[in-house]
Amino acid sequence: MNIPNLAEPREAQRQRLLLAVFAAPAAGAVPALSIRELDARALRGFEAYRANAEALAERALGAVFATVQTMVGEDNFRHLAREFWQAHPPERGDMGEWGQTFPAWLGAHAAMAQWPYLGDCARLDLALHQNERAADAVFDAASLSLLESSDPALLSLQLMPGTALLRSAWPIATIHAAHCLDETQAAFVGVRAALDEQRGEQVLVVRKGWRAVVHRLGQAEADWSASLLAGTSLSIALESAGEAFDFAAWLSTALREQWVKGVAVLGD
Amino acid sequence: MPGHVTAAAGSVQAGHELTGNAGVAGVGIGLRQPHYAQVLAAPPPLGFVEVHSENFFADGGAALAVLHRAREIYPLSLHGVGLALGSAAGLDPWHLDRLDRLVKRIEPVRVSDHSCFARAVLSPGQAVVHANDLLPIAFTDAALAIMVANVMQVQERLRRPMLVENLSSYVSFADDSMSEPEYFTQLCRRSGCGMLLDVNNIMVNALNAGAPDPLAACRSYVDALPLGIVGEIHLAGYVDAGEIVIDDHGSRVRPDVWRVYEHALKRFGPVPTLVEWDTGLPALDVLLDEAAHASALMVRAAAP
Repeated sequence: MNIPNLAEPREAQRQRLLLAVFAAPAAGAVPALSIRELDARALRGFEAYRANAEALAERALGAVFATVQTMVGEDNFRHLAREFWQAHPPERGDMGEWGQTFPAWLGAHAAMAQWPYLGDCARLDLALHQNERAADAVFDAASLSLLESSDPALLSLQLMPGTALLRSAWPIATIHAAHCLDETQAAFVGVRAALDEQRGEQVLVVRKGWRAVVHRLGQAEADWSASLLAGTSLSIALESAGEAFDFAAWLSTALREQWVKGVAVLGD
Repeated sequence: MPGHVTAAAGSVQAGHELTGNAGVAGVGIGLRQPHYAQVLAAPPPLGFVEVHSENFFADGGAALAVLHRAREIYPLSLHGVGLALGSAAGLDPWHLDRLDRLVKRIEPVRVSDHSCFARAVLSPGQAVVHANDLLPIAFTDAALAIMVANVMQVQERLRRPMLVENLSSYVSFADDSMSEPEYFTQLCRRSGCGMLLDVNNIMVNALNAGAPDPLAACRSYVDALPLGIVGEIHLAGYVDAGEIVIDDHGSRVRPDVWRVYEHALKRFGPVPTLVEWDTGLPALDVLLDEAAHASALMVRAAAP
Protein backbone atom coordinates (compact mmCIF):
# COMPACT_ATOMS: atom_id res chain seq x y z
CA MET A 1 0.00 0.00 0.00
CA ASN A 2 1.37 3.43 -0.90
CA ILE A 3 1.06 6.47 1.30
CA PRO A 4 -1.32 8.96 -0.32
CA ASN A 5 0.76 11.46 -2.27
CA LEU A 6 -1.63 14.27 -1.45
CA ALA A 7 -0.72 13.91 2.20
CA GLU A 8 3.02 13.86 1.74
CA PRO A 9 4.31 17.32 0.91
CA ARG A 10 3.38 19.28 4.02
CA GLU A 11 4.06 16.55 6.55
CA ALA A 12 7.09 15.21 4.70
CA GLN A 13 8.60 18.68 4.73
CA ARG A 14 7.76 19.17 8.39
CA GLN A 15 9.31 15.84 9.34
CA ARG A 16 12.46 16.47 7.33
CA LEU A 17 12.95 19.85 8.99
CA LEU A 18 12.16 18.47 12.42
CA LEU A 19 14.63 15.66 12.08
CA ALA A 20 17.32 18.13 11.08
CA VAL A 21 16.47 20.47 13.97
CA PHE A 22 16.39 17.63 16.49
CA ALA A 23 19.90 16.74 15.41
CA ALA A 24 21.17 20.30 15.82
CA PRO A 25 18.70 22.73 17.45
CA ALA A 26 18.76 26.18 15.84
CA ALA A 27 16.65 29.10 17.00
CA GLY A 28 16.00 30.34 13.49
CA ALA A 29 14.37 27.12 12.38
CA VAL A 30 11.65 27.05 15.03
CA PRO A 31 9.16 29.52 13.49
CA ALA A 32 9.19 27.65 10.16
CA LEU A 33 7.94 24.49 11.82
CA SER A 34 4.62 25.78 13.20
CA ILE A 35 5.76 24.90 16.69
CA ARG A 36 3.23 25.92 19.31
CA GLU A 37 5.72 26.44 22.12
CA LEU A 38 7.59 29.74 22.34
CA ASP A 39 11.21 29.81 21.22
CA ALA A 40 12.99 29.10 24.50
CA ARG A 41 10.57 26.36 25.49
CA ALA A 42 10.70 24.83 22.00
CA LEU A 43 14.48 24.79 22.09
CA ARG A 44 14.35 23.03 25.45
CA GLY A 45 12.09 20.43 23.85
CA PHE A 46 14.49 20.00 20.93
CA GLU A 47 17.33 19.69 23.42
CA ALA A 48 15.52 16.80 25.11
CA TYR A 49 15.32 14.91 21.81
CA ARG A 50 18.94 15.69 20.95
CA ALA A 51 20.18 14.54 24.35
CA ASN A 52 18.24 11.32 23.94
CA ALA A 53 19.80 10.69 20.52
CA GLU A 54 23.31 11.28 21.87
CA ALA A 55 22.77 8.98 24.82
CA LEU A 56 21.34 6.34 22.51
CA ALA A 57 24.30 6.61 20.13
CA GLU A 58 26.79 6.15 22.94
CA ARG A 59 24.85 3.28 24.49
CA ALA A 60 24.33 1.44 21.21
CA LEU A 61 27.91 1.73 20.00
CA GLY A 62 29.28 1.01 23.48
CA ALA A 63 27.33 -2.25 23.57
CA VAL A 64 29.06 -3.37 20.38
CA PHE A 65 32.51 -1.79 20.50
CA ALA A 66 33.52 -2.62 24.05
CA THR A 67 37.22 -2.93 23.28
CA VAL A 68 37.31 0.42 21.54
CA GLN A 69 35.37 2.11 24.33
CA THR A 70 37.78 0.81 26.95
CA MET A 71 40.80 1.78 24.87
CA VAL A 72 39.84 5.38 24.14
CA GLY A 73 38.01 6.03 27.42
CA GLU A 74 34.38 6.92 27.99
CA ASP A 75 34.71 10.65 27.30
CA ASN A 76 36.45 10.19 23.97
CA PHE A 77 34.05 7.42 23.03
CA ARG A 78 31.07 9.67 23.78
CA HIS A 79 32.43 12.29 21.38
CA LEU A 80 33.16 9.65 18.74
CA ALA A 81 29.62 8.25 19.05
CA ARG A 82 28.07 11.71 18.57
CA GLU A 83 30.32 12.42 15.62
CA PHE A 84 29.57 9.07 14.02
CA TRP A 85 25.82 9.63 14.48
CA GLN A 86 26.13 12.88 12.52
CA ALA A 87 28.26 11.30 9.80
CA HIS A 88 26.43 7.98 9.51
CA PRO A 89 22.99 8.23 11.14
CA PRO A 90 21.03 5.00 11.59
CA GLU A 91 18.93 3.86 8.66
CA ARG A 92 17.16 1.07 10.54
CA GLY A 93 14.91 1.07 13.57
CA ASP A 94 16.98 -1.64 15.22
CA MET A 95 20.03 -0.12 16.86
CA GLY A 96 21.65 -3.56 16.96
CA GLU A 97 22.12 -3.16 13.21
CA TRP A 98 23.81 0.24 13.46
CA GLY A 99 27.56 0.70 13.42
CA GLN A 100 28.63 -1.61 10.62
CA THR A 101 30.59 1.24 9.03
CA PHE A 102 32.05 2.36 12.37
CA PRO A 103 35.30 0.33 12.06
CA ALA A 104 36.19 1.83 8.67
CA TRP A 105 35.16 5.32 9.82
CA LEU A 106 37.20 4.98 13.00
CA GLY A 107 40.20 3.60 11.15
CA ALA A 108 40.23 6.66 8.90
CA HIS A 109 39.62 9.19 11.70
CA ALA A 110 42.44 11.73 11.71
CA ALA A 111 42.27 12.28 15.47
CA MET A 112 42.74 8.56 16.05
CA ALA A 113 45.82 8.24 13.82
CA GLN A 114 48.08 7.66 16.84
CA TRP A 115 46.26 4.33 17.36
CA PRO A 116 46.39 2.78 13.88
CA TYR A 117 45.05 -0.54 15.21
CA LEU A 118 41.74 0.93 16.42
CA GLY A 119 39.92 0.17 13.19
CA ASP A 120 40.88 -3.51 13.30
CA CYS A 121 39.97 -3.71 17.01
CA ALA A 122 36.56 -2.32 16.07
CA ARG A 123 36.22 -4.95 13.34
CA LEU A 124 36.80 -7.65 15.92
CA ASP A 125 34.23 -6.11 18.26
CA LEU A 126 31.72 -6.01 15.41
CA ALA A 127 32.40 -9.62 14.45
CA LEU A 128 31.75 -10.71 18.05
CA HIS A 129 28.49 -8.73 18.12
CA GLN A 130 27.31 -10.17 14.82
CA ASN A 131 28.20 -13.69 15.91
CA GLU A 132 25.97 -13.40 18.96
CA ARG A 133 23.07 -12.26 16.72
CA ALA A 134 23.59 -14.97 14.09
CA ALA A 135 21.08 -17.74 13.52
CA ASP A 136 21.17 -20.67 15.92
CA ALA A 137 22.08 -23.94 14.22
CA VAL A 138 22.15 -27.57 15.24
CA PHE A 139 25.16 -29.74 14.45
CA ASP A 140 24.32 -32.32 11.81
CA ALA A 141 26.27 -35.28 13.22
CA ALA A 142 25.01 -37.71 10.61
CA SER A 143 26.53 -35.63 7.83
CA LEU A 144 30.05 -36.48 9.09
CA SER A 145 29.69 -39.93 7.54
CA LEU A 146 30.11 -38.21 4.17
CA LEU A 147 33.77 -37.71 5.05
CA GLU A 148 34.29 -41.47 4.79
CA SER A 149 32.02 -42.21 1.87
CA SER A 150 32.52 -39.29 -0.54
CA ASP A 151 35.25 -37.67 -2.59
CA PRO A 152 36.63 -34.59 -0.68
CA ALA A 153 36.56 -32.71 -3.96
CA LEU A 154 32.76 -32.94 -3.83
CA LEU A 155 32.31 -31.98 -0.17
CA SER A 156 32.33 -28.77 1.82
CA LEU A 157 32.59 -28.38 5.58
CA GLN A 158 30.18 -25.80 6.93
CA LEU A 159 30.96 -23.74 9.99
CA MET A 160 28.30 -22.44 12.35
CA PRO A 161 26.45 -19.24 11.33
CA GLY A 162 28.24 -16.11 12.48
CA THR A 163 31.71 -17.63 12.32
CA ALA A 164 34.15 -15.01 11.05
CA LEU A 165 37.84 -14.89 10.20
CA LEU A 166 39.80 -11.70 10.82
CA ARG A 167 43.36 -11.22 9.65
CA SER A 168 45.09 -8.17 11.01
CA ALA A 169 48.52 -6.61 10.89
CA TRP A 170 47.98 -5.80 14.58
CA PRO A 171 47.69 -8.01 17.68
CA ILE A 172 43.91 -7.64 17.86
CA ALA A 173 43.28 -10.75 19.95
CA THR A 174 45.88 -9.73 22.53
CA ILE A 175 44.44 -6.19 22.68
CA HIS A 176 40.88 -7.48 22.99
CA ALA A 177 41.80 -9.89 25.76
CA ALA A 178 43.66 -7.23 27.75
CA HIS A 179 40.81 -4.71 27.54
CA CYS A 180 37.78 -6.96 27.85
CA LEU A 181 38.81 -10.22 29.50
CA ASP A 182 41.99 -9.88 31.55
CA GLU A 183 42.51 -6.29 32.57
CA THR A 184 45.69 -6.99 34.55
CA GLN A 185 48.98 -5.15 34.29
CA ALA A 186 50.57 -8.28 32.87
CA ALA A 187 48.03 -8.36 30.05
CA PHE A 188 48.84 -4.79 29.07
CA VAL A 189 52.55 -5.55 29.19
CA GLY A 190 51.75 -8.32 26.72
CA VAL A 191 49.97 -5.83 24.46
CA ARG A 192 52.95 -3.49 24.49
CA ALA A 193 55.31 -6.35 23.65
CA ALA A 194 53.09 -7.51 20.79
CA LEU A 195 52.90 -3.97 19.38
CA ASP A 196 56.66 -3.50 19.72
CA GLU A 197 57.36 -6.66 17.76
CA GLN A 198 54.70 -5.59 15.19
CA ARG A 199 52.91 -8.88 15.60
CA GLY A 200 49.88 -9.43 13.43
CA GLU A 201 47.16 -11.83 14.56
CA GLN A 202 44.59 -13.95 12.80
CA VAL A 203 41.49 -15.00 14.67
CA LEU A 204 38.36 -17.02 14.27
CA VAL A 205 35.25 -15.62 15.96
CA VAL A 206 33.05 -18.49 17.11
CA ARG A 207 30.22 -18.98 19.56
CA LYS A 208 30.79 -20.79 22.85
CA GLY A 209 27.43 -21.38 24.46
CA TRP A 210 25.65 -18.08 23.82
CA ARG A 211 28.82 -15.98 23.92
CA ALA A 212 31.06 -15.12 21.00
CA VAL A 213 34.73 -15.82 21.68
CA VAL A 214 38.05 -15.22 19.95
CA HIS A 215 40.22 -18.16 18.89
CA ARG A 216 43.73 -17.35 17.71
CA LEU A 217 44.88 -19.10 14.55
CA GLY A 218 48.18 -20.04 13.02
CA GLN A 219 48.81 -19.39 9.32
CA ALA A 220 47.70 -22.84 8.16
CA GLU A 221 44.54 -22.78 10.26
CA ALA A 222 43.70 -19.29 9.00
CA ASP A 223 44.12 -20.34 5.36
CA TRP A 224 42.01 -23.43 6.01
CA SER A 225 39.29 -21.38 7.73
CA ALA A 226 39.25 -18.86 4.90
CA SER A 227 38.64 -21.65 2.41
CA LEU A 228 35.84 -23.15 4.48
CA LEU A 229 34.14 -19.79 4.89
CA ALA A 230 34.44 -19.24 1.14
CA GLY A 231 32.61 -22.54 0.58
CA THR A 232 35.36 -24.28 -1.32
CA SER A 233 35.67 -28.05 -1.52
CA LEU A 234 37.49 -29.92 1.19
CA SER A 235 40.25 -30.91 -1.19
CA ILE A 236 40.91 -27.29 -2.19
CA ALA A 237 40.75 -26.20 1.45
CA LEU A 238 43.29 -28.83 2.42
CA GLU A 239 45.52 -27.78 -0.43
CA SER A 240 45.35 -24.12 0.61
CA ALA A 241 46.20 -24.99 4.22
CA GLY A 242 49.40 -26.75 3.17
CA GLU A 243 51.13 -29.84 4.44
CA ALA A 244 51.66 -28.43 7.94
CA PHE A 245 47.94 -28.44 8.58
CA ASP A 246 46.74 -31.30 10.80
CA PHE A 247 43.17 -31.95 9.69
CA ALA A 248 42.46 -34.66 12.29
CA ALA A 249 43.58 -32.44 15.17
CA TRP A 250 41.59 -29.48 13.82
CA LEU A 251 38.45 -31.59 13.38
CA SER A 252 38.74 -32.91 16.92
CA THR A 253 38.94 -29.36 18.31
CA ALA A 254 36.22 -28.09 15.99
CA LEU A 255 33.77 -30.81 17.01
CA ARG A 256 34.52 -30.39 20.70
CA GLU A 257 34.06 -26.62 20.50
CA GLN A 258 31.00 -26.92 18.24
CA TRP A 259 32.40 -24.84 15.38
CA VAL A 260 31.08 -27.21 12.72
CA LYS A 261 27.52 -27.17 11.45
CA GLY A 262 27.98 -30.17 9.18
CA VAL A 263 29.34 -31.60 5.96
CA ALA A 264 27.53 -30.99 2.70
CA VAL A 265 27.80 -32.21 -0.86
CA LEU A 266 28.75 -29.29 -3.09
CA GLY A 267 25.95 -28.22 -5.36
CA ASP A 268 23.22 -29.72 -3.20
CA MET B 1 -7.42 -14.81 21.03
CA PRO B 2 -7.46 -12.80 24.27
CA GLY B 3 -6.53 -9.18 24.03
CA HIS B 4 -6.83 -8.93 20.28
CA VAL B 5 -8.43 -5.99 18.65
CA THR B 6 -11.33 -6.78 16.40
CA ALA B 7 -10.38 -5.04 13.19
CA ALA B 8 -13.77 -4.74 11.60
CA ALA B 9 -15.37 -2.84 14.41
CA GLY B 10 -12.27 -1.02 15.60
CA SER B 11 -13.15 -2.00 19.13
CA VAL B 12 -11.12 -3.90 21.62
CA GLN B 13 -11.72 -6.94 23.70
CA ALA B 14 -10.13 -6.38 27.05
CA GLY B 15 -8.89 -9.96 27.10
CA HIS B 16 -7.72 -11.67 30.28
CA GLU B 17 -11.03 -12.69 31.72
CA LEU B 18 -11.61 -11.52 35.23
CA THR B 19 -11.27 -14.24 37.78
CA GLY B 20 -10.92 -14.26 41.52
CA ASN B 21 -7.50 -12.74 40.96
CA ALA B 22 -8.56 -10.18 38.43
CA GLY B 23 -5.74 -7.72 38.84
CA VAL B 24 -2.94 -10.23 38.55
CA ALA B 25 -4.49 -11.61 35.38
CA GLY B 26 -4.42 -8.26 33.63
CA VAL B 27 -1.25 -6.55 34.81
CA GLY B 28 2.18 -7.09 33.32
CA ILE B 29 5.68 -5.70 33.55
CA GLY B 30 8.35 -4.92 30.99
CA LEU B 31 10.81 -7.81 30.91
CA ARG B 32 14.30 -6.34 30.69
CA GLN B 33 17.69 -8.04 30.51
CA PRO B 34 18.80 -7.53 34.15
CA HIS B 35 15.67 -9.38 35.31
CA TYR B 36 15.73 -12.26 32.82
CA ALA B 37 17.32 -14.84 35.10
CA GLN B 38 15.25 -13.98 38.17
CA VAL B 39 11.93 -13.97 36.33
CA LEU B 40 12.61 -17.22 34.50
CA ALA B 41 13.95 -18.98 37.60
CA ALA B 42 10.90 -18.16 39.74
CA PRO B 43 8.19 -16.68 37.53
CA PRO B 44 6.07 -14.24 39.52
CA PRO B 45 2.31 -14.27 38.91
CA LEU B 46 1.73 -11.75 36.11
CA GLY B 47 -0.91 -11.34 33.47
CA PHE B 48 1.72 -10.91 30.77
CA VAL B 49 5.19 -9.60 30.11
CA GLU B 50 6.15 -7.00 27.55
CA VAL B 51 9.33 -6.65 25.51
CA HIS B 52 10.52 -4.19 22.89
CA SER B 53 10.19 -5.95 19.56
CA GLU B 54 13.37 -4.54 18.03
CA ASN B 55 15.54 -6.11 20.74
CA PHE B 56 14.64 -9.51 19.27
CA PHE B 57 15.06 -8.85 15.56
CA ALA B 58 18.32 -10.80 15.36
CA ASP B 59 18.39 -14.11 13.53
CA GLY B 60 19.25 -15.97 16.74
CA GLY B 61 21.19 -15.71 19.96
CA ALA B 62 20.66 -15.66 23.70
CA ALA B 63 18.02 -12.92 23.85
CA LEU B 64 15.74 -14.75 21.46
CA ALA B 65 16.17 -17.97 23.45
CA VAL B 66 15.13 -16.12 26.60
CA LEU B 67 12.10 -14.75 24.80
CA HIS B 68 10.99 -18.21 23.74
CA ARG B 69 11.37 -19.38 27.33
CA ALA B 70 9.36 -16.41 28.64
CA ARG B 71 6.67 -17.12 26.05
CA GLU B 72 6.28 -20.62 27.49
CA ILE B 73 5.41 -19.04 30.84
CA TYR B 74 3.53 -15.84 30.04
CA PRO B 75 1.37 -14.24 27.38
CA LEU B 76 3.74 -11.83 25.67
CA SER B 77 3.10 -8.32 24.43
CA LEU B 78 5.38 -7.14 21.61
CA HIS B 79 5.79 -3.39 21.94
CA GLY B 80 7.68 -1.72 19.12
CA VAL B 81 9.64 1.50 19.24
CA GLY B 82 10.83 1.58 15.65
CA LEU B 83 8.03 1.16 13.12
CA ALA B 84 7.74 4.96 12.96
CA LEU B 85 4.10 4.67 11.95
CA GLY B 86 3.59 8.38 11.31
CA SER B 87 6.50 8.79 8.92
CA ALA B 88 5.62 10.45 5.63
CA ALA B 89 8.58 8.53 4.16
CA GLY B 90 6.61 5.32 4.77
CA LEU B 91 7.53 2.13 6.56
CA ASP B 92 10.86 0.36 6.25
CA PRO B 93 10.16 -2.98 4.50
CA TRP B 94 13.10 -4.55 6.35
CA HIS B 95 11.58 -3.56 9.68
CA LEU B 96 8.20 -4.94 8.73
CA ASP B 97 9.81 -8.20 7.57
CA ARG B 98 11.59 -8.61 10.89
CA LEU B 99 8.50 -7.80 12.91
CA ASP B 100 6.44 -10.26 10.90
CA ARG B 101 9.05 -12.97 11.51
CA LEU B 102 9.09 -12.24 15.23
CA VAL B 103 5.29 -12.29 15.46
CA LYS B 104 5.25 -15.67 13.74
CA ARG B 105 7.94 -16.97 16.09
CA ILE B 106 6.42 -15.72 19.33
CA GLU B 107 2.67 -15.51 18.71
CA PRO B 108 2.26 -12.51 21.02
CA VAL B 109 -0.99 -11.66 22.75
CA ARG B 110 -0.70 -8.08 21.50
CA VAL B 111 1.41 -6.10 19.00
CA SER B 112 1.83 -2.36 19.43
CA ASP B 113 3.90 0.67 18.49
CA HIS B 114 3.68 4.45 18.78
CA SER B 115 1.97 7.35 17.10
CA CYS B 116 5.17 9.04 16.02
CA PHE B 117 7.56 9.51 13.15
CA ALA B 118 11.27 8.73 12.96
CA ARG B 119 12.07 8.18 9.28
CA ALA B 120 12.78 10.98 6.84
CA VAL B 121 15.03 11.82 3.91
CA LEU B 122 17.21 14.70 5.08
CA SER B 123 18.54 15.55 1.63
CA PRO B 124 17.34 14.56 -1.85
CA GLY B 125 19.02 11.44 -3.13
CA GLN B 126 20.18 10.34 0.28
CA ALA B 127 19.03 7.28 2.21
CA VAL B 128 16.14 7.49 4.63
CA VAL B 129 17.43 8.25 8.12
CA HIS B 130 15.86 6.59 11.16
CA ALA B 131 16.09 8.75 14.28
CA ASN B 132 15.39 5.82 16.62
CA ASP B 133 13.25 8.11 18.74
CA LEU B 134 9.54 8.71 19.16
CA LEU B 135 9.22 12.04 17.37
CA PRO B 136 5.96 14.00 17.48
CA ILE B 137 3.48 14.25 14.64
CA ALA B 138 0.93 16.95 13.99
CA PHE B 139 -2.76 16.26 14.50
CA THR B 140 -3.79 17.22 10.99
CA ASP B 141 -5.83 15.45 8.33
CA ALA B 142 -2.68 14.89 6.29
CA ALA B 143 -0.75 13.37 9.18
CA LEU B 144 -3.72 11.21 10.07
CA ALA B 145 -3.93 9.92 6.49
CA ILE B 146 -0.27 8.91 6.63
CA MET B 147 -0.76 7.13 9.94
CA VAL B 148 -3.88 5.30 8.78
CA ALA B 149 -2.14 4.06 5.62
CA ASN B 150 0.94 2.88 7.51
CA VAL B 151 -1.02 1.17 10.29
CA MET B 152 -3.15 -0.63 7.70
CA GLN B 153 0.00 -1.77 5.91
CA VAL B 154 1.33 -3.28 9.12
CA GLN B 155 -1.96 -4.97 9.95
CA GLU B 156 -2.29 -6.40 6.45
CA ARG B 157 1.24 -7.81 6.67
CA LEU B 158 0.84 -9.24 10.17
CA ARG B 159 -2.72 -10.34 9.43
CA ARG B 160 -3.81 -9.04 12.80
CA PRO B 161 -4.83 -5.73 14.31
CA MET B 162 -2.36 -3.69 16.33
CA LEU B 163 -2.45 -1.09 19.08
CA VAL B 164 -1.05 2.41 18.65
CA GLU B 165 0.21 4.37 21.66
CA ASN B 166 -0.22 8.06 22.38
CA LEU B 167 3.05 9.89 22.75
CA SER B 168 4.67 12.16 25.28
CA SER B 169 6.06 15.00 23.21
CA TYR B 170 8.22 17.99 24.00
CA VAL B 171 7.03 20.15 21.15
CA SER B 172 3.58 20.44 19.57
CA PHE B 173 2.18 22.11 16.50
CA ALA B 174 0.15 25.28 16.09
CA ASP B 175 -1.58 24.03 12.96
CA ASP B 176 -3.21 21.00 14.62
CA SER B 177 -6.73 20.71 13.25
CA MET B 178 -8.07 18.23 15.79
CA SER B 179 -7.52 17.22 19.39
CA GLU B 180 -5.42 14.18 20.23
CA PRO B 181 -8.43 12.10 21.40
CA GLU B 182 -10.22 12.97 18.15
CA TYR B 183 -7.11 11.95 16.21
CA PHE B 184 -7.02 8.53 17.92
CA THR B 185 -10.76 8.08 17.50
CA GLN B 186 -10.39 8.65 13.77
CA LEU B 187 -7.27 6.50 13.54
CA CYS B 188 -8.94 3.53 15.21
CA ARG B 189 -12.14 3.90 13.21
CA ARG B 190 -10.41 4.22 9.83
CA SER B 191 -7.62 1.67 10.25
CA GLY B 192 -9.24 -0.87 12.57
CA CYS B 193 -6.41 -0.59 15.08
CA GLY B 194 -6.88 -0.14 18.81
CA MET B 195 -5.36 2.41 21.13
CA LEU B 196 -2.64 1.77 23.66
CA LEU B 197 -3.42 4.45 26.23
CA ASP B 198 -0.34 5.65 28.11
CA VAL B 199 -1.75 7.61 31.03
CA ASN B 200 1.71 8.81 32.06
CA ASN B 201 2.18 10.36 28.63
CA ILE B 202 -1.11 12.23 28.95
CA MET B 203 0.06 13.67 32.26
CA VAL B 204 3.51 14.59 30.91
CA ASN B 205 1.92 16.45 28.00
CA ALA B 206 -0.56 18.21 30.28
CA LEU B 207 2.25 19.36 32.55
CA ASN B 208 4.42 20.50 29.67
CA ALA B 209 1.49 22.37 28.15
CA GLY B 210 1.11 24.24 31.44
CA ALA B 211 -2.46 23.04 31.96
CA PRO B 212 -3.95 24.91 34.94
CA ASP B 213 -5.38 21.67 36.32
CA PRO B 214 -3.34 18.81 34.77
CA LEU B 215 -5.43 16.08 36.41
CA ALA B 216 -8.63 17.56 35.06
CA ALA B 217 -7.04 17.86 31.61
CA CYS B 218 -6.07 14.17 31.72
CA ARG B 219 -9.54 13.11 32.80
CA SER B 220 -11.06 15.13 29.98
CA TYR B 221 -8.70 13.40 27.54
CA VAL B 222 -9.81 9.98 28.81
CA ASP B 223 -13.47 10.98 28.68
CA ALA B 224 -13.11 12.13 25.10
CA LEU B 225 -12.08 8.65 23.92
CA PRO B 226 -14.88 6.35 22.81
CA LEU B 227 -15.53 3.22 24.83
CA GLY B 228 -14.03 0.12 23.31
CA ILE B 229 -10.94 1.47 21.57
CA VAL B 230 -8.40 1.05 24.38
CA GLY B 231 -6.69 -2.35 24.28
CA GLU B 232 -3.90 -1.77 26.79
CA ILE B 233 -2.87 0.87 29.31
CA HIS B 234 0.70 1.89 30.13
CA LEU B 235 1.93 3.24 33.46
CA ALA B 236 5.37 4.70 34.07
CA GLY B 237 7.27 7.33 35.99
CA TYR B 238 8.30 10.78 34.80
CA VAL B 239 10.95 13.22 35.98
CA ASP B 240 10.45 16.94 36.48
CA ALA B 241 13.52 18.57 34.92
CA GLY B 242 12.45 22.10 35.78
CA GLU B 243 11.63 23.74 32.47
CA ILE B 244 10.24 20.51 31.14
CA VAL B 245 8.84 17.19 32.34
CA ILE B 246 10.56 14.16 30.82
CA ASP B 247 8.87 10.79 30.32
CA ASP B 248 11.94 8.80 31.36
CA HIS B 249 10.40 5.52 32.60
CA GLY B 250 12.91 5.72 35.42
CA SER B 251 10.90 5.90 38.64
CA ARG B 252 7.73 4.77 40.36
CA VAL B 253 4.39 5.83 38.92
CA ARG B 254 3.49 9.29 40.24
CA PRO B 255 0.39 9.72 42.43
CA ASP B 256 -1.31 11.97 39.86
CA VAL B 257 -0.81 9.30 37.18
CA TRP B 258 -2.34 6.64 39.42
CA ARG B 259 -5.41 8.87 39.69
CA VAL B 260 -5.68 9.15 35.91
CA TYR B 261 -5.32 5.36 35.74
CA GLU B 262 -8.18 4.89 38.18
CA HIS B 263 -10.29 7.21 36.07
CA ALA B 264 -9.42 5.25 32.92
CA LEU B 265 -10.32 1.94 34.61
CA LYS B 266 -13.70 3.33 35.59
CA ARG B 267 -14.32 4.39 32.01
CA PHE B 268 -12.87 1.47 30.06
CA GLY B 269 -13.04 -1.40 32.53
CA PRO B 270 -10.21 -3.80 33.42
CA VAL B 271 -7.96 -3.20 30.42
CA PRO B 272 -4.63 -5.11 30.41
CA THR B 273 -2.08 -2.81 32.01
CA LEU B 274 1.69 -2.60 31.77
CA VAL B 275 4.10 -1.10 34.29
CA GLU B 276 7.02 0.28 32.26
CA TRP B 277 10.48 0.93 33.68
CA ASP B 278 13.33 1.35 31.20
CA THR B 279 16.03 3.53 32.77
CA GLY B 280 17.69 3.00 36.12
CA LEU B 281 16.00 -0.37 36.40
CA PRO B 282 15.16 -1.17 40.03
CA ALA B 283 15.09 -4.51 41.83
CA LEU B 284 12.39 -6.79 40.43
CA ASP B 285 10.45 -6.53 43.69
CA VAL B 286 9.93 -2.81 43.11
CA LEU B 287 8.42 -3.47 39.70
CA LEU B 288 6.24 -6.22 41.12
CA ASP B 289 5.10 -3.87 43.86
CA GLU B 290 3.99 -1.35 41.24
CA ALA B 291 2.21 -4.13 39.35
CA ALA B 292 0.48 -5.24 42.56
CA HIS B 293 -0.77 -1.71 43.12
CA ALA B 294 -2.14 -1.57 39.59
CA SER B 295 -3.80 -4.94 40.19
CA ALA B 296 -5.44 -3.68 43.37
CA LEU B 297 -6.82 -0.65 41.57
CA MET B 298 -8.08 -2.86 38.76
CA VAL B 299 -9.88 -5.15 41.19
CA ARG B 300 -11.38 -2.18 43.00
CA ALA B 301 -12.58 -0.62 39.74
CA ALA B 302 -14.18 -3.92 38.70
CA ALA B 303 -16.05 -4.30 41.99
CA PRO B 304 -19.80 -3.71 41.73
